[in-house]
Amino acid sequence: MPRAQKVRNRAVGASPPRRALRPASNRPAAARGLGKYVYCVIQSSKPQTFGPIGLGAQPAPVHTVHHRDIAAVVSDTQIQLHDPTRENVLAHERVNETVMRKFTVIPMSFGTVFKTEADIEELLRSAYEAFREVLAKMADKLEFGVKVLWDRDEMVRQIEAEEEEVRWLRKQISSERGSTYLARMQHGRLIDRALQSRSERYLGEIFERLRDVSVASRVNKPIGDRMIVNAAFLVSRDKEAAFSARLEDLGTRYPHLTFKFTGPWPPYNFVNIRLKLERAREATP
Amino acid sequence: MPVERASGGTSLIDVLDRVLDKGIVIDAWVRVSLVGIDLLTVEARVVVASIDTYLKYSEAVGQAAPASKPLAEGKSHDELLAENVSLRAQLAEAKERVPRRRGLRS
Repeated sequence: MPRAQKVRNRAVGASPPRRALRPASNRPAAARGLGKYVYCVIQSSKPQTFGPIGLGAQPAPVHTVHHRDIAAVVSDTQIQLHDPTRENVLAHERVNETVMRKFTVIPMSFGTVFKTEADIEELLRSAYEAFREVLAKMADKLEFGVKVLWDRDEMVRQIEAEEEEVRWLRKQISSERGSTYLARMQHGRLIDRALQSRSERYLGEIFERLRDVSVASRVNKPIGDRMIVNAAFLVSRDKEAAFSARLEDLGTRYPHLTFKFTGPWPPYNFVNIRLKLERAREATP
Repeated sequence: MPVERASGGTSLIDVLDRVLDKGIVIDAWVRVSLVGIDLLTVEARVVVASIDTYLKYSEAVGQAAPASKPLAEGKSHDELLAENVSLRAQLAEAKERVPRRRGLRS
């Protein structure tokens, strides 16, 4: 990939870059040493085009490859390893988000390139039942990310204000008579326990409030020590507004917490299809 | 504003968190070794190793993980650590490739 393209690092977002397309070549892609990058799988029997929004310095036109009533959303690309650079990763996501406006998608993980269209047809054929089953389950559902952050120091101050034993220990430590080692240990333990129980209480309350406006949820590991919730919610398209309103309510109810609400996303956190390739020869002993 | 709303593809970290190993995943070594998956000329076939969909509303109780406690969600602590290392490496690489004048937004 030419390094020059890195300079053209676009602002991130869903709007496709406006660029004149090069005149389309009529030669088949494979003849020009191009493969097909796969973004996602959708249900569609008719060829679809999504415009020049794919990977590449000149964002490649995105189209579909079909098998029966399902299709892979693809664009032509150099046959090479695609590094998860900011530009590449965001292009992958941009295509998924664009396709998602009209279709239910099963997202492909980043960086999957096939040599030819025929290889993709073979993929769709082989995993057809799996794709159909998952497409049906994900029909008209969107993923939203919810991260909740707190100010740990502020929480510690609250705990010290509210819990007598913690306050007492704090006083022992600051009096500095004799060894404060045990008092400090105990103080730390009590603070940790109190933080833990508060974070669990918030988590429980937040999940309870979002339960009837979502289909499913998954809890991921929080990142960093300010985060207490790192979750993904699967929401029906027709509940999107209700889900969003409920989060606003939560924000009002807990003004000392910060809610980070992202999406809609393809249902990455709710689908995992693992595929492997076998040599046909190895498969039949 | 306590609730910050952003569309999907605005945070690189949120995107990386999803696109690298979720959704439809094809064996890693194949991707590395073949560079362009070629089923027909090498007579390979696709096998579905596993399908998981997560359509339950997780019970939040006992799931909280402030600070350091790893979550039981199928992955062991070690696996998560290994995943973290690889994500960090890829993130560092991604950062390096970004022209300096634009910082990471998260």
